[in-house]
Amino acid sequence: MNSQRTRWAIFASLFALMVISYTITLKWKIPTSPYIQKSYEFINSLPPSSVVIVSFDHEASSLPEIQPISQIILRHLFSRNQRIIGMSLFAEGTAIGYQTLNKLANEYGKKYGEDYVFLGFKPQHIAAILGMGESIKQVFPQDYLGNYSTEIPIMQGVENYQQIAAVISLADGDRTVQWIEYTGKKHGLKILGGFTAAMITTYDPYLSSGQLYSAIGGIVGAAEYEGILGLPGKGNRALLSQTAAHLFIVLLVIVGNIAYFRKRRGEK
Amino acid sequence: MDWGAVVAGLLTLAIYSFLYRDNPVYKFAESLLIGLSIGYALVTFWQTAVLDKLLHPLFHQGQLLLVVPLILGLLMFSRFSRRLSWLSRIPLALMIGAGAGAAIPAMLYERTLRQVSNSIQPLVTSDSQFNFSGLVVLAGLLSTLAYFYFSREHKGFLGGVAKVGTYFMMVFFGATFGYTVMSRMSTLIGRIDFLLTDFLHYLQ
Repeated sequence: MNSQRTRWAIFASLFALMVISYTITLKWKIPTSPYIQKSYEFINSLPPSSVVIVSFDHEASSLPEIQPISQIILRHLFSRNQRIIGMSLFAEGTAIGYQTLNKLANEYGKKYGEDYVFLGFKPQHIAAILGMGESIKQVFPQDYLGNYSTEIPIMQGVENYQQIAAVISLADGDRTVQWIEYTGKKHGLKILGGFTAAMITTYDPYLSSGQLYSAIGGIVGAAEYEGILGLPGKGNRALLSQTAAHLFIVLLVIVGNIAYFRKRRGEK
Repeated sequence: MDWGAVVAGLLTLAIYSFLYRDNPVYKFAESLLIGLSIGYALVTFWQTAVLDKLLHPLFHQGQLLLVVPLILGLLMFSRFSRRLSWLSRIPLALMIGAGAGAAIPAMLYERTLRQVSNSIQPLVTSDSQFNFSGLVVLAGLLSTLAYFYFSREHKGFLGGVAKVGTYFMMVFFGATFGYTVMSRMSTLIGRIDFLLTDFLHYLQ
């Protein structure tokens, strides 16, 4: 088989394996990692009606990985009757954030403006993060729908980070680092993260130093959180497909190595 | 019928047709994606920055001080003229100065000092237990730093320590690569989910 055909065979097999495994629903108990438990316990410990900022700091390309995390976090927050201020520091995250918030709010019968609001996108993210420490309403004079922030019920009494219980940054890049750097020491704000798996190693040092309170990483993190809440969703469903893909890749690595060493021995 | 899902499904298949070979259908979908992304970002920036933060408050709310950032912003466009391009240095200098002023203390504290302090852990904990993780962090830190010490040739003791540093880095790169593979698989799963549920209605 030539290399092009080998490539197609690998792609086709991987795709078929993932599609088949995605259609299978398994009820399995997923062990909870400490940081997922910490995120869960933190949200549980918040008094009802606390105000939490959920920042959709990601692009559309990472939606498949971030959406299961954002959905389970929002479900937990809404089920605990917390108030949510949604926003985005990425232009592409704006429409995604608004749609996700509305969808989940409808599930829980929450009212826009009273239980949650979406402030939209602000460019120059560092200026936005710093400015919100002074006045959130000045950085976001209007919400995503054009309502004046001063007239939105949920924003009454919310001036700056003093009234915010935590920031949950859903990121596929380093936006959460900026939340840590510009609010951490100055405002003592708790930052929680929801990341793509590719970003986990970037945030590990911040987790171990305590600068990042806790994190939910990738589809596995979402599945674990769904497990604690008892609300199996997209994370849980995707886990079997992801596991099958990983095992297939490991198998390919082993087969590739055996083929390489056999070829090298033959050449000697 | 949800025509949005139909169009999105067909575009997804058009993008994946690249796995067979480069073709005009793929090129069309790729160009559409780039064009839409730039268009969306441009409109969002125009609305949230130029209209909401500048033109509306300036002309409808009479916040006259905003003339200053308006002029500074316009000066950026002087780069298109060879004769006037020096004017763009004024807003650039302001941006760099303000940016550095805000970033340096925050980064120095959160990214450097806090991280350094977290890397230097006592090897014996307060309850007299040996801190093995602390030892691994210390060994990893020192050996990786030794690898990037180029003032002496990597021979003898320094060479040995630097070699250990490369192993630590390989573990890091391996973990990062593994997570990246995980991420890419998740993206594919997202598309599979879309194709099977919204596009084909095979799953609910």
